[in-house]
Amino acid sequence: MTGRSRLGRWPMLLWVAPALALLVVFVYYPVVENFRLSLFKWSAFSKEQFVGLDNYAHMVADPVFWGALFNNVAYAVVSVVCQVFGGLVLAAVLEELVRGRLKGILRTIYFIPAVLSLTVVGLLFTFIYNPQIGLVNGFLGAVGLSQFQHSWLGESATAIWSIIAMSQWQNVGYMMVLFIVAMQRVPRELYEAAYIDGASRIEAFRRITIPLVREMTLLAMIITISGAFLVLNEVWVMTAGGPDNASQTLASWLYKSAFFNDKMGYAATIAVAIFIITMAASIVQLFLNRGKSVQY
Amino acid sequence: MTIGKRLAGLLATAALIVTACGGSSATAAPPAASTGASSGASTVPSAVPSSAGSASSAAPALSGSITVLDKYGDPRYAPYFDGVAAAYMAANPNVKVTIDHETDQGVKDKLTAMAASNSLPDIYFSWAGDYTKKFVRAGMALDLTAKVTGDWLNSFGSAALSAYTYDGKLYGVPITLDAKYLAYNKKMFSDNGIAVPTTLEELLSACDAFTAKGIKQPIAFGNQFGWPAIHYMTQLNAYDVPAATLATDYNPATGAFTDPGYLKALQDFADINQHCLTQGSNGISHENAQANFINSKVPMHYLESVEFSVLTKAGGAPDEIANNWGFMKLPAPSGAAGDTGALEGAPDGFLVNANSPHVDIAVDFLKFLTSLDNAQKLTKDLGWLSPIKGSATADNTFPQNIQVVDDISKASSMAIWLDTVTQSDVAKAYLDGVQGMLDGKKTPADVVAGVQAAAASAKSSQ
Amino acid sequence: MSGNISRPSYAAERSGSGVGSAIGRVIAYIVLTLLVVMIVYPMAWAVLNGFKTNLELFSNPWGLPASWHWDNFVTAWNLGVVRYLMNSVIVTVASTVAVILFSAMSAYALTRRKIPFANAITVMLLGGMMLAPAVALVPLFRLLQALHIFNTYWALIILYTAFRIPFTVFLIRAYMITLSKEMEDAAIVDGANTWQIFWLVIMPLSRPIIVSAALLHALFAWNEFAFALVFINSNDLKTLPVGLLQMQGRVLSDWPVLFAALVIASIPMILLFLAGQRQFIRGLSEGFGKG
Repeated sequence: MTGRSRLGRWPMLLWVAPALALLVVFVYYPVVENFRLSLFKWSAFSKEQFVGLDNYAHMVADPVFWGALFNNVAYAVVSVVCQVFGGLVLAAVLEELVRGRLKGILRTIYFIPAVLSLTVVGLLFTFIYNPQIGLVNGFLGAVGLSQFQHSWLGESATAIWSIIAMSQWQNVGYMMVLFIVAMQRVPRELYEAAYIDGASRIEAFRRITIPLVREMTLLAMIITISGAFLVLNEVWVMTAGGPDNASQTLASWLYKSAFFNDKMGYAATIAVAIFIITMAASIVQLFLNRGKSVQY
Repeated sequence: MTIGKRLAGLLATAALIVTACGGSSATAAPPAASTGASSGASTVPSAVPSSAGSASSAAPALSGSITVLDKYGDPRYAPYFDGVAAAYMAANPNVKVTIDHETDQGVKDKLTAMAASNSLPDIYFSWAGDYTKKFVRAGMALDLTAKVTGDWLNSFGSAALSAYTYDGKLYGVPITLDAKYLAYNKKMFSDNGIAVPTTLEELLSACDAFTAKGIKQPIAFGNQFGWPAIHYMTQLNAYDVPAATLATDYNPATGAFTDPGYLKALQDFADINQHCLTQGSNGISHENAQANFINSKVPMHYLESVEFSVLTKAGGAPDEIANNWGFMKLPAPSGAAGDTGALEGAPDGFLVNANSPHVDIAVDFLKFLTSLDNAQKLTKDLGWLSPIKGSATADNTFPQNIQVVDDISKASSMAIWLDTVTQSDVAKAYLDGVQGMLDGKKTPADVVAGVQAAAASAKSSQ
Repeated sequence: MSGNISRPSYAAERSGSGVGSAIGRVIAYIVLTLLVVMIVYPMAWAVLNGFKTNLELFSNPWGLPASWHWDNFVTAWNLGVVRYLMNSVIVTVASTVAVILFSAMSAYALTRRKIPFANAITVMLLGGMMLAPAVALVPLFRLLQALHIFNTYWALIILYTAFRIPFTVFLIRAYMITLSKEMEDAAIVDGANTWQIFWLVIMPLSRPIIVSAALLHALFAWNEFAFALVFINSNDLKTLPVGLLQMQGRVLSDWPVLFAALVIASIPMILLFLAGQRQFIRGLSEGFGKG
């Protein structure tokens, strides 16, 4: 082989060295270290103290932890229904019914929320949910439904659901576009054949579209679910987990435990819980994904 | 390789920045001399003819740079502090003062993160109470007892210093004088023929009277971050719990919170909420609620005296409120078990980082910040009262502020904010618990139980 | 492949068969229109409120502003939005360049060359995709201090790079595997060394995936919140997502300024999206899967 030094293949290791080094130092080491830290108790104002599994015992008994876990689950379930299935249906409707420029314009509009930062959207929605000047209460008042007005982010019964609703607003268009891309890879002839056989649009959607974008759907579900267990930004911006920790998620509770409540070891323990959950999701994804990732 | 190089470069850069402000031939800051007594103020400054402070002694030249963390990021406040820093740098050409402005809410996690990362700035904001004491216990706050002496010491009103004095040692330099009051719209009271209440019971019936007149939820209240409700609790605890018991319970080493007064205070607050306060308050910010008082939509609002300027014409308030507002202490329940002469309030103050390499500059800057000139400017520019005697005059502030100075001097004691005076877990139990109470999810008894549990675990970890 | 999204729809061939379909179509159009309103109206509302006075916002939250207060935008700009924008640009650009460079180098070595331990290295590089950044938050807080890069741009640049290498390698690797060997062999015959082949042959051939990967990374870095919140203390170094949050606390009693800030902060990404919509969607759909 010309152009190569006599050292053989070894110099090629230099090509992967920067990436590997960064990964080992800033990703793998911290994740391993986190397990160790979860066995200690310390704060900004005190030294590390080994406490064994105390933090885990505390976590299991912590109602806020379980409330946060519930909120993450709620986030996942609603997002799968609204974003994945909503996005799928929306994509089909847009593909089937709308043509020409209007289609492009609608697609663009639906997608725009996805390019806004979560902080921007979160802050915007704190105004939309504001009980006094907000759009939601204003709308309810205008159509005579003022009995349904709420202090949306200020009541424990509505806070997390309001945040989840915001998230659907932001992401449904994104999912829709992904499904459109997937649908356009479905051979057109399949539909033509079905229509010649007298199939209705809904039948065609059920018999052709759904099976053929099934992989995409599965993937979308997994991504949505594992994403739902990492929610932090919108919660921190909109409610900081309040009122009375009612809208806390695992990640926001981790952050609050570490930097507000000053319980670093406990925060590391919550991180272990997040690790286990996201790891499980990744393994499922890997399993589903095996050998068929690029075959649309 | 790449990383190593990067790190090296980066460390070099950092070193450059740190040492950038070298130099030597500096003079010490000429501290503003405390001039003679100003007329109109209720306190008499110690008149010192000669110029006070370090300039008279053979002061070493100051050089270096310091960083200050405050919570005055609001564009209405920040310019004052930037101006003081600029003036100080003009007087000390070899000193660089950088102020990092945080916000009231943002400074809380930032201070924790900085303490945890050993990156506290040279001077940092801290609330009075156990909030400051935890920095003291960790050796992160410099003992200022030997630094704040002589005329500088005497220029402070005594109450302000005591808020930052623990075990006889001074750890913070107070920069404001602040108390919590129920402001009311005189015109709305008289227009509706409702008498200004003097007891808690009268307050509740005044609220009912307003409600009957169609002015619902007559006290503007927004509790988004939890502390506004805690301000009610601060004053109510002082009313309902004997002072000696409070002192014991607010100490993390001895806190138990078993006195029945704590439950009573929470029940009083539940009554106030039911009769008077804006509902859905957990989703409304304090400032959002305040706008309704300023716009004369509701007749009452509980706020700090440092906020009074928003009610004045100069602060942008409409005439209807600017010419018609008065204030009072939160009316006490009749037959209260605690000190009804207590007034809620505490100064804001700055601590000096015990590990700062520039303690001399830090102390000197704080001295400059609290000079009479700058104190008067604080009052004039921001409408905030200063702990420096003689800083508020009829010329530089509105009449209500002069009244506050008088009122504070008459208070039998000052009740420091409940969420900063107590150990942080106890504070959180109150913050979360009362939010839950307003949400209808918790009862006063639940809150007390939570507070007791937090106090017990705080005590065991002492 | 996925770039083609303007294919004529089946609607053309299958228009209007029966009453039921007509009703369904009307309903669908109503839903589509409602959705447009639900998306556009809040954004328009935010823009309008950016022009009001605070008093007006409370007295007339719905209507048009009485006069257009451009000064809110000036105030927002001066309060730090410009600073936050700049910080976001610095961190985004730097980490994008780093992540693309390191990932492309790795992908090249793993797919086009013989390298020792190729399988083990691939597993290590891709395995990082399974780890959530939140898990590393507390240990990183200490690590970055020990390395003296806490509260610097480097903290974010390095972390954004490190945490996105696995995904970016995944994308680029999948693409590079498919490249034919001919041009590379020709270059070798011409006496090009490894480095030259990488830059002059492989990188140009991989341009589509590089663009997609860069866009995906930019979107991630621009919006990242947790690291930016925890590892940056100084206001001067804050990126937009955290800076805007801080700004909310600063203008508690002047909301129109915050609305103005939100609008300013959103413009760059919206423009970028509108300009490169096709690339964007392509990138997102390719990247989707492991985001």
